[in-house]
Amino acid sequence: MNSRNKTPNFFIREIPLVVLLVFWVIYAGIEIIRDRFDLLTSIIPAGLFIIAYVLARLTSKEGKGGG
Amino acid sequence: MDTFLALEIIALALTGLLIWHSASTRGAAFTWIFFLGGAFLGLVRENVVAKIAALNLYSYNPATFHLWVGAAPLILMVFWSYTIYLALTFSEVIAGGDLISGKRRVWAILLSMIFMASYACLNEAFAGIYPMVLWKFKPALTIWGGTPAMVLWGYAGMALIFLLALLLVYKLRIRTVYRVMIFCASVIVMIPLHLLWIAIFRLATSAIG
Repeated sequence: MNSRNKTPNFFIREIPLVVLLVFWVIYAGIEIIRDRFDLLTSIIPAGLFIIAYVLARLTSKEGKGGG
Repeated sequence: MDTFLALEIIALALTGLLIWHSASTRGAAFTWIFFLGGAFLGLVRENVVAKIAALNLYSYNPATFHLWVGAAPLILMVFWSYTIYLALTFSEVIAGGDLISGKRRVWAILLSMIFMASYACLNEAFAGIYPMVLWKFKPALTIWGGTPAMVLWGYAGMALIFLLALLLVYKLRIRTVYRVMIFCASVIVMIPLHLLWIAIFRLATSAIG
């Protein structure tokens, strides 16, 4: 049983990346404004996942995909 | 408009985008089960945690949140859904796996747990500014801003419990509406399991404090 039923276009496929980037920028931005910014918690952990995701997409043999 | 109210509305709108993504890529059945179950889990769990004093965990700051369902902010209706959905999607892409079909499932779940802990760092540092949460205990281990280290463990555990329950229910060969109902009902198992998961960490780190 596979949960995936369609191959979406680029814009739909990358919605999760856009959503995480928006949260990431808003959270880190407000932390900077409120002078509560910390590189180790605000940027690095989620940032590493974003980098790994983009690299996985770029190196994917399928080129397309569900999630 | 108050900044935090704007953030609550943005979070609801972004969750709408994720629901669209899920429906487009994973199908209606998965989407109904995942997001309705997540909403039910969020509202029930956070009301339980906020209202049962014996748990001695936390409550939500009434001065911060604007929209409520009982003792839980409305945003919790989507919070666990969107964080776990992001965790699962990112992890499946990075691992080249698929939770439902079974391809590299263990890696997808493990990466989801790590993603959740990573997201907890970002979210809890942000939460500490307002503050969103009023802690009822003095934690043995803290991360930046005084947030209990237990939170990272808790986020990871929620992903593990939610995804395993989702997998079990999704695989049932019954109509979608029954799977949705069973998954929503399964929060009465998921919540105690998650509280136990947290208690294990608190017990293990209590000696440090």
